Amino acid sequence: MVIERILIFLLALVGFSAIVGAKNIIKKVFGLNILNAAVVLLYILEGSRIGEQAPILGEGVTTIVDPVPQALMLTAIVIGVCVTALALALAVRLYKATGSLEIDTISERLRSEH
Amino acid sequence: MKRTLFIIKLIFILLILALAIFPVILSSHSWPVVSRDYLYENALSDTGAVNTVSSIYLGYRAMDTLGETLVLLVSITGTMGILINLGRENEEEEAVSFSLAPEKRATNAQRTHLLEVVASKLGPVVLLFGFYVMLYGHISPGGGFQGGVIVASAIVFLALGTETQTKLTNTNVLGRIESLSFLVLIIAATSGVFFESGFFGNPIKSGSSLSANFIILLNIIIGLKVGTSIAVMCIAMMGGRRGH
Repeated sequence: MVIERILIFLLALVGFSAIVGAKNIIKKVFGLNILNAAVVLLYILEGSRIGEQAPILGEGVTTIVDPVPQALMLTAIVIGVCVTALALALAVRLYKATGSLEIDTISERLRSEH
Repeated sequence: MKRTLFIIKLIFILLILALAIFPVILSSHSWPVVSRDYLYENALSDTGAVNTVSSIYLGYRAMDTLGETLVLLVSITGTMGILINLGRENEEEEAVSFSLAPEKRATNAQRTHLLEVVASKLGPVVLLFGFYVMLYGHISPGGGFQGGVIVASAIVFLALGTETQTKLTNTNVLGRIESLSFLVLIIAATSGVFFESGFFGNPIKSGSSLSANFIILLNIIIGLKVGTSIAVMCIAMMGGRRGH
């Protein structure tokens, strides 16, 4: 029970360190995605503690998991896709403008232009 | 010096994060069962959907879904606005195809026969599966968003594979389907007001024997909207506005 939470925490740390530490914009976007996935997993895991079966009613279904976190995470996944698309579009524009995806090179080239 | 500063910063950030997340890790408080029990007993009779997740996001909390589609609309508007000036300005109505001519395939390392052949054969099958997931979202795992994403990947397959020009990979056609389905979604959302069942209420409750009819309708609309908007974004990112 604690093991799964610690694993999800490590996954979130991987995403966070990619956002903070990576110099490449694409890797930063990947880190954002990993952080998003960690949050989704945490919610699904916590909601599944009180049941065994998928929340689809029918014959012989008695102990379903909590469907509320799953419905919430649907929203989170869609918004994650939106954020990823916008970030990647901005990365494409930056690459067209400066010819690089590394943030150091980008800031250097932008500074030398002015 | 710079490196030690970075390490100190990193440790500090980890400590703050751990402080924020350790209550979650160490908590032994059990998950509340009130909402689960309520939905287990009432969701089927309230909304008519066997899939409880569908009955939440299209029945009880349909307003959330409207906001979600709005977020998607804003996101695709921003993405297209950022990407639109990248290519040449040609507004001609032509279908987009990224498939290479057969004589060029042998010399291109990234685009082989394999991708062209597999993607073009897989596209229609995946499209059918996407519509299946979309239409059966109320009684099985799936729904509008999931089916829409599968439809979007089918459209990307078609754009990658086929040399025959399909209208489905034209960004103008896809954009029109998207805006039309959003209009239909707003009409469906407000139509309940005129039939005495409130905003996002079911206006066709009494007219049909199928109890989940409104949820099926919303699933189809949302699936079309999500599928076309994600497909438009993918085609724009592959450079589809430029033609070739």
